[in-house]
Amino acid sequence: MNLKWLEDWFEKIEPKGKWSWLGSTYEAFHTFAFTPKTVTKSGSHIRDAVDMKRSIIIVVIALIPALLFGMWNIGYQTYTANGTLSTFHFPLSTCFWFGFLRMLPMIAVSYIVGLFIEFAFAQYRHHEVNEGFLATGLLIPMIVPVTTPLWQLALAVAFAVIIGKEVFGGSGMNFLNPALVARAFLFFAYPTHMSGDSVWIANDLWGSDAIAGATPMGQLATGAHPSASALDMLIGTIPGSTCETSVIAIALGAILLLFTGIASWRIMLSVFLGGGAMGLLFNLLSTFHSPLSTYMQLPFYYHFLMGGFAFGAVFMATDPVTAAQTNCGKWIYGLLIGAFAVLLRVCNPAYPEGMMLSILFMNCMAPLIDHCVVAANIKRREKRTATLGKEVHNG
Amino acid sequence: MTETIKIKKGLDIPLDGAAERHIVDARSIERYAVKPPDVVGFTPRLLVAEGDSVVAGQPLVADKHDPRLFLPSPVSGTVEAIVRGEKRKLLEVVVCRNTQNIQNTQSNQNTLTPEAPIWWMIKERPFGTIANPDHQPKGIFISLRDTNPLAPDLDYALKGREQEFEAGIKALEAFATVHCVKADGPHPAGNVGTIVAALDPINKGECVWTVNAQDVANIGRWCLTGEYRPERVIAVGGPSAKAPHYYRVLCGACLKRISEAQLIDAVYPNLNTQNTPSIQTRIISGSPLSGTTVAPDGFLGMYDQQVCFIEEGDHYDFMGWLMPGLKKFSFSKTFLSGFLGQIVKMSKCQKADGNKDSLTFGLFDSLTPHYDFNTNVHGSVRPFLFTGSFERVFPFDIYPLQLIKACIVGDVELQEKLGIYEVEPEDFALCEFIDPSKTEIQTIIREALEVLRKEAIA
Repeated sequence: MNLKWLEDWFEKIEPKGKWSWLGSTYEAFHTFAFTPKTVTKSGSHIRDAVDMKRSIIIVVIALIPALLFGMWNIGYQTYTANGTLSTFHFPLSTCFWFGFLRMLPMIAVSYIVGLFIEFAFAQYRHHEVNEGFLATGLLIPMIVPVTTPLWQLALAVAFAVIIGKEVFGGSGMNFLNPALVARAFLFFAYPTHMSGDSVWIANDLWGSDAIAGATPMGQLATGAHPSASALDMLIGTIPGSTCETSVIAIALGAILLLFTGIASWRIMLSVFLGGGAMGLLFNLLSTFHSPLSTYMQLPFYYHFLMGGFAFGAVFMATDPVTAAQTNCGKWIYGLLIGAFAVLLRVCNPAYPEGMMLSILFMNCMAPLIDHCVVAANIKRREKRTATLGKEVHNG
Repeated sequence: MTETIKIKKGLDIPLDGAAERHIVDARSIERYAVKPPDVVGFTPRLLVAEGDSVVAGQPLVADKHDPRLFLPSPVSGTVEAIVRGEKRKLLEVVVCRNTQNIQNTQSNQNTLTPEAPIWWMIKERPFGTIANPDHQPKGIFISLRDTNPLAPDLDYALKGREQEFEAGIKALEAFATVHCVKADGPHPAGNVGTIVAALDPINKGECVWTVNAQDVANIGRWCLTGEYRPERVIAVGGPSAKAPHYYRVLCGACLKRISEAQLIDAVYPNLNTQNTPSIQTRIISGSPLSGTTVAPDGFLGMYDQQVCFIEEGDHYDFMGWLMPGLKKFSFSKTFLSGFLGQIVKMSKCQKADGNKDSLTFGLFDSLTPHYDFNTNVHGSVRPFLFTGSFERVFPFDIYPLQLIKACIVGDVELQEKLGIYEVEPEDFALCEFIDPSKTEIQTIIREALEVLRKEAIA
């Protein structure tokens, strides 16, 4: 493929003189089309082929199974709830197109608002536009209820990008996961649109009307048993936020993230371990607890299947910027995320889903965890020097 | 006498063009250069002028701070040129051999002293300077295996010099315990920094000395015969080398003859003519991970034992972030090549188990990826986003990312706490190689170490 003409065109339109302030925007589009021809000047003469764009795009690809299933499930939930699905032979592909048309404006709003702010900040700072938002911008519409009004989504994205990220200096400098900042913003600013039983199923193709339908966790919060079976939850044919219901689809993404080494297996595994341990602990406690709480008796693996646990563990907790950065710290960070998520679910009826708050809380704690882990290394080194001093003294 | 250590963390980069096992004698090369910038912390004071005649082992430049330390002429001849760079910084002293191999007049046995012409071959850590004769090292470390990509096989290079090597060890033992270590494992197992960290890490206020294995033999020769002949067997290779093999040279040798023999398309010697070649080749003296770029008629670095020819990657890559990347090498497996590589690896494991299925294995073998390497950075510079991969190629009890960040912000106290004295820039070469943020890590470490070194001597 000879693309010399395109290379030349880009070199020709490079903004100069009075247009040079557009450099960041130009650079963003140019590097989108072509990996730059920069060669190494110092240090290692050869470099690994991976760069930030490639790494982020792997995250986006890993999200696709969950996204596609989520689209289908949006339609499936609506058509099941309004009875269309059972009345006549109904093509399942219609479910997908319904969901696709519901999701498309949300994704578009998220990317347009977010990227506009990202470009504006990059221009203002004369920085290169960072790729991080390509993943964040897709994650946000995937973790909100399908009936979220677009203007609320736009506000949440703007809040997340500006307050969650750019005020700290952009991607890599933030300490909270921007996608979860957006969700937390919606959760606290518009609680009626974000929880309860009547936000999860869209009524029609447009608008934010909803059909009543409780999520398994909504049911559990009221003390009832979830009506969906564990298998339904595993496959994901349950009401919930747009694209986080299917554990199988999430698992496909997880496999890609782990194989490519983009996400930390330590974090992913430890979140499940922490959640499982907490679930088992509650099972144990429930035998002494009277009256028996349904939530406490729930088999521990239900916690993995319900709500945003799996999605959070695979795509949110593993965000490398806001997670602990040391290997040992990652274990602690993950275990505590899982444990706190289950603790919040079971013990705090005000918040039916604890995963978001648990991850955000541990985001804040991650630097502290790292500090302690690194301090242990420093102490070890100081001890070595100290024994050395003693030897010299004795000698 | 030889110790062995086993290192697990690291990465062997599958670079094409390993040197074949035959040695071409290139000791007859005429021009040689002594390069003071290759020696960390050496402030050169010129002792000769252009046109002076010198004998092998005669000091050409001495250190301003310690006149005992000097860099000698590798051959007997005339000083042909004194090359200076910006701010009149002394870059090279070029010596042209004008008589056939005049041997040093003295031929008696010698003891190793700081005034000996071979003293510069002994390096000191931390900082990587010439060994300071006033310091008492807690050990002298010699790596018997170079694990750099395309590095020479030291056993092969030292064949026939066993006696000299022994003599060199004996001479060094007068200063401290000598550890000859053969490391097992992927690069950077053979880096002397890795070995020191595994056996006896350097604490603040301590130092160790290190010597290249081939230089131990050179020291031995000098001690046995009094002859200064800094001989090295170098591995010449790389993806753009025409016929990779070993050369026997004296250190500081002009690479012109080697470049002429190795450059594909005979780019050289027509470099000065109008027709610029379509593919430029970079010539690296030293490891592709930490060496220096030299001109086709440049000179071998002071401590280098390999030369690598590699294509300049100054071309665009259409949607490199999206393409499958069958020929791209990445530690991260984010390209299809990583996926195929994994399959091939697994099939080879099965083959080793004796489970033979010739048809599929033939297929897998043909899938073994051949990676394209060039000098392209493959991306733009970004802040550190991803974590955890440095640790997989960095076999030190040090948190690499935290240390790099401490160096970037210039927090000297934190650097000391995190173990800056245990490392050299080359120890971070693999971190720099795999970094998706494309940070110049070796430069950052070098600059931080320079600040500390200047503080230490002040």
